[in-house]
Amino acid sequence: MSSAPVLETKGLGRRFGGLKAVDDVSFSVPEGEVLGVIGPNGAGKSTFINLVTGHIKPTSGHVLIEGQDMTGAKPWAIAHAGVARTFQIVKPFRGMSVRENVAVGILYGRKGVARMSQALEQADEVLKEVGLGSLGDRAPGGLSVADARRLEFAKALALRPRLLLLDEVMAGLRHSEIEPSLELIKELKSRGLTIIVVEHVMKAILAISDQVLVLHQGKVLTSGDPRTVLSDPRVIEAYLGQRYVQRRERGES
Amino acid sequence: MGSPATGRHTATDEARGTRADATEIVGSSRSAHEPVWRRWLPWGLLVLGALVMLGLQSQLYSGQERTVSAIFMFVALAQGWNIIGGFTGYASFGQVVFFGLGGYFTAVAMSHWGLNFWVSLAASGVVAALFGVLIGLPLLRLKGHYFAIATLGVAEGMREVVNNVPGLTGGGAGISIPTVGNQATTHYLGNDGFYLLYLVLALLAVAVGMLVSRNKFGFALRAIHQDEDAAAAVGINTTRAKVAAFALSGLLTGLVGSTYAFQQVTIFPERLFDVDITVLMVVMVVIGGSGTVLGPLLGAVALQYLSEWLRQNFTEVHTFILGGIIIAAVILLPQGAVNYVREARQSGEWSLLANVRRYRL
Repeated sequence: MSSAPVLETKGLGRRFGGLKAVDDVSFSVPEGEVLGVIGPNGAGKSTFINLVTGHIKPTSGHVLIEGQDMTGAKPWAIAHAGVARTFQIVKPFRGMSVRENVAVGILYGRKGVARMSQALEQADEVLKEVGLGSLGDRAPGGLSVADARRLEFAKALALRPRLLLLDEVMAGLRHSEIEPSLELIKELKSRGLTIIVVEHVMKAILAISDQVLVLHQGKVLTSGDPRTVLSDPRVIEAYLGQRYVQRRERGES
Repeated sequence: MGSPATGRHTATDEARGTRADATEIVGSSRSAHEPVWRRWLPWGLLVLGALVMLGLQSQLYSGQERTVSAIFMFVALAQGWNIIGGFTGYASFGQVVFFGLGGYFTAVAMSHWGLNFWVSLAASGVVAALFGVLIGLPLLRLKGHYFAIATLGVAEGMREVVNNVPGLTGGGAGISIPTVGNQATTHYLGNDGFYLLYLVLALLAVAVGMLVSRNKFGFALRAIHQDEDAAAAVGINTTRAKVAAFALSGLLTGLVGSTYAFQQVTIFPERLFDVDITVLMVVMVVIGGSGTVLGPLLGAVALQYLSEWLRQNFTEVHTFILGGIIIAAVILLPQGAVNYVREARQSGEWSLLANVRRYRL
């Protein structure tokens, strides 16, 4: 294993007025691991992703990518440093074909690709990888929900990242549609990619995460092995409220 | 190659909170294996158009020649606006500032500094581009209406600056470029000369538009237009791309302003910074089809020709009729003529009434 973790945050925080959306988050992701990030709505998961990718500037703390301090760097600099992301609300480039959507990422996110024709050829390979091989000519707006999410995947993979941040890529998908996404993430992991998965689908988190980080009201509630973390009463309470925990305890006794 | 893309779909536009039940079109969809002839077809047409316009010149009376020159001028201006307003999606309502700046720089350079026209023309383009960088850096942080209003303010402000330094610009009394005698640095170009120069500028602007619409830079601008966060996330330096687009757009506009100043000989701040010129650029691009190359070209030709024809045939009410036609066009074809035809060809739905409904908010 290389010396520096792919991503490390030290005391990372962001205030919006009086609200601490993310508060003193410190952790690191070693190379090749999948980190699951969970937490109830409003826990600061998306803000956390945005702090790492430079879309929001932190008000405190540091972001280190492969040991390099990238705190406050612009999103394109973060992308060039090898970090790619998807968006919770899909953001396809309308007015371009699916293939062109991916080609833009290849042109600007990879080194040494200057010509559109070259990028379009490489885009087809990425589309095949995520299972959109036959839809390159389509307009992104005509895609199904599942395919639109695959396109988000493809746009991120176009950068050939070292670290991939997935912001709820399975939200709104049917069970039958979640399976291929999990397979894809496992496949990417087996190739050595480091991945952070923000997700509400617990089945998915359990299936793919090496470690889980739980955020609650902007702070790290707990972290560690997925099964241990998910059975932690504090985590259940954060998600379902105290009364549910009490009722469950009574029911069990 | 060309994609028989999607049928209709329902798109929820989260950013604006509006709902548009619109047929999405894929601008220049192409695979990696596009036939060579298709790639070069637009360039062939451009050369053909240039040759026809060169032949046409000898067939025109001087009045007609001036009319066609004005059409060329607006083709270049509309293409210039389209780069920032169409491709990039930043509606500059102060675009005339580049026009005025180019014109005044040329007038001052020729009358005060004794530079010849060709040097002044090139320098005016550079000055306008640099000014685009200067105001682009702060203003392109603003979006939508805020950007539009801020640019409008810059243009109005610049007019006042020009008005208030009469020593350099002649102020409200105007400034004249010497065109005869030994003070003249460049011989006046005359009707034929300006026809050719405007033709070259129009061809240049269309060629720039064609390059931008297909190259790497153009795809960055279109990505920024759709979603800046997503564009930045795939590695596009959005600040640099936007400023470059604004500068390029300013460059083309500045060149036209410079030529216009020399053609007019005497220029005034009220005319060179006239907001009407910006409005015309915007209307031409929007009616023709924003974000395409053909749209601004057709929009400029159609509107300028129509305006001239109405002025000759309905002198007293021509602006009234023109205004009515513009309103009707915007209502019936809100996406612009070129985009309407593209969508209709893909969906097979040619009804204008359906088109109005589709884009109704």
